[in-house]
Amino acid sequence: MKRWLFPLAIFLLAAAAGHYMVMHWTADFIMARATDKMAGRGGWNRFLHAAPTRAEYQPVVRPSPDLLYSSCAFDVSNGPVEIVAAPIPDHYSSISVFDAHTNVIFVRNDEQMAGQPMRILLALNGQNVPAGAEVVRLSAPRGIALQRILLADPAEAQRIDPLRRQAQCRALGHEG
Amino acid sequence: MRGLFKYVAIIVLGVLLGGGAGIWHIRSGGFGDTPIGPWLYSKLAGSVAADDQTRSVIALYGLLALPRSEALYFTAKSDSAGRPLDGRCHYRIDGAPLAARWWSITLYNPEGYLIPNRWHRHSIGSLAAQSDAVGRWQVHIAPEPRDTTTLPTATRGGFDITLRAYRPSGQLLNDPRQVQLPTITRLECGA
Repeated sequence: MKRWLFPLAIFLLAAAAGHYMVMHWTADFIMARATDKMAGRGGWNRFLHAAPTRAEYQPVVRPSPDLLYSSCAFDVSNGPVEIVAAPIPDHYSSISVFDAHTNVIFVRNDEQMAGQPMRILLALNGQNVPAGAEVVRLSAPRGIALQRILLADPAEAQRIDPLRRQAQCRALGHEG
Repeated sequence: MRGLFKYVAIIVLGVLLGGGAGIWHIRSGGFGDTPIGPWLYSKLAGSVAADDQTRSVIALYGLLALPRSEALYFTAKSDSAGRPLDGRCHYRIDGAPLAARWWSITLYNPEGYLIPNRWHRHSIGSLAAQSDAVGRWQVHIAPEPRDTTTLPTATRGGFDITLRAYRPSGQLLNDPRQVQLPTITRLECGA
């Protein structure tokens, strides 16, 4: 009996470690895959303006068919990334920034923009940024910025499309 | 050498079993941790304070969900009597006014994707739902939609309903358990 105790303890420890690793890394793994997939479609550090969601086109899980999505897979490894967006008149809209751990580290909606465009810089902790900019700090270089715009009617998508394309996501170049 | 092999095998087996249990744990988790009638909601979605399981379930079933100050997500897999939602049945959702800038009801398959249907209709929101004089509203879900306030199930299997409330305020934001969320009543079922 005694000779099984040590192997059993090893087995239980290994099982606990396996469980912990899956629970701890799944979200980061899914986020990394989603970010890479998005960058594969639209490139890094630029907005990809997705077509209106329909059953045949669902870029993310549990999409809302009432919203127009524009996404930017960003990577600040080589320097800050600038996000610029303007509110869409009389429509709910928001810009949210998700880090590599799925945390929402920034969100601003049209009410908070109060009719004015917004500009933020995404930068790693400790990374140099131009003075005077609103900076959102990251602990890991990659993530996703997402613009959501509520459509009162699916037919509005065509009219809203040029407005949402004014949003920008771009690398500022190498860190100075 | 045989002893070493035995321990490596034990460790590999342990990690696989523990990892498998973790995957089952995540996959069986609902999109939320707080039940309110038939609805489940997570007050930690998108939050830095979210624990590993919440984070994993949200990543799997609702990646890029907004934090609660911006949007609340309530998901139902059963009706108000506790019976699993069945695509062959007709349901009525009765709601009171929600303290939100905008809300919507959307149908998904159990994996979290929209179900194709020939009407291309997957959701109905506060901008389109018809309310009575005191703001109470009804939405119907049925295999074959009768009108524009009916969402087609388009499946003979199970499905989920997600209620989104954007820019919630008051009690809905602070403690949704104190709010009268919509009820889901099963009417008739087809074969």
